[in-house]
Amino acid sequence: MKALIPVLIGLFAVTAQAATPNEILAGYRAEAAKLNPRYQPSAELGAHLFARGFGVSARMPACTSCHTEDPTRGGSHVVTGKAIQPLAPRANPERFSDPAKVEKWFRRNCGEVLGRPCSAAEKADFITFLMRER
Amino acid sequence: MNRILVWDWPVRIGHWLLVGAFALAWLTGDSETWRLVHVWAGGGVVGVVLFRLLWGLVGTRHARFASFVRGPGAVKAYLLGLFTHPRAETPGHNPAGGWAIVALLSLGLLTGVSGWLTYQEIGGEWLEEAHEALASTMLTVVFVHVIGVLIGSLAHGENLVRAMFTGIKRGDADAAIVNARPFAVPLLLACAVTCAWWLAR
Repeated sequence: MKALIPVLIGLFAVTAQAATPNEILAGYRAEAAKLNPRYQPSAELGAHLFARGFGVSARMPACTSCHTEDPTRGGSHVVTGKAIQPLAPRANPERFSDPAKVEKWFRRNCGEVLGRPCSAAEKADFITFLMRER
Repeated sequence: MNRILVWDWPVRIGHWLLVGAFALAWLTGDSETWRLVHVWAGGGVVGVVLFRLLWGLVGTRHARFASFVRGPGAVKAYLLGLFTHPRAETPGHNPAGGWAIVALLSLGLLTGVSGWLTYQEIGGEWLEEAHEALASTMLTVVFVHVIGVLIGSLAHGENLVRAMFTGIKRGDADAAIVNARPFAVPLLLACAVTCAWWLAR
């Protein structure tokens, strides 16, 4: 039984890893730099990604379909009507505090809205944009 | 050995409804476009499970928990003797299958309830993760169940999948059920639809 305790603590640490938006951004930035050593995150590119219509999904063509054009305000799910809390960490401190959750929603939403996975550079741009908004 | 009726209508329809609802819920789990379909499918799973729990008490002979839920010793003896003593003790569920049923019903209920709590934003992040872990565990048990059915079919020389459609298996005449109880099927369907509607509100 005693041997299980560190394992359980380890599991908990993996599933509930706390991080700051800056740390999560740094992770994606480092990943993007492996492909392009001169890569710099761009809030402008992130803003474009956020507002752009991709035309893949009829009901949610863009991020703004659910999150609205202002990420400091809450949105609502176009299918279920459920409330969605603001994306910008300054408006909602819970955002970008759990790397696994961030990755899960990039995987889901990029697949559904863009029709493909997002690159590390796109994720870093996106987070840079959201961290700028107040 | 005769060909006898073993599975009543609610058992068979309920089984395939559960297959369909769980498959649909699994396939739509990651999609926001299909979120309502996912919630309805999950509600359907819960409805079928609730009906099956009741049916396990008042259903026909081989549908009752008391007739097929056996202790670990019986399961071990059954699995060890599977190929050396292929004559099944009962035309109903074998002891290993009985545990698969209990596990799948429990997981179906827990997955559905944790999903509903997440959808209603009652539970926190941990409950959403529990929902996903429970669903994955359920899929794993489904695979174990299917492999068990295939091995059981080979060992007993009887197509157990077909039996879940026709309700008919080999067995002694006195082990047959008399009435397939089709009148309970509308109740099963009503339970599934009501649960799906109520959970998706």
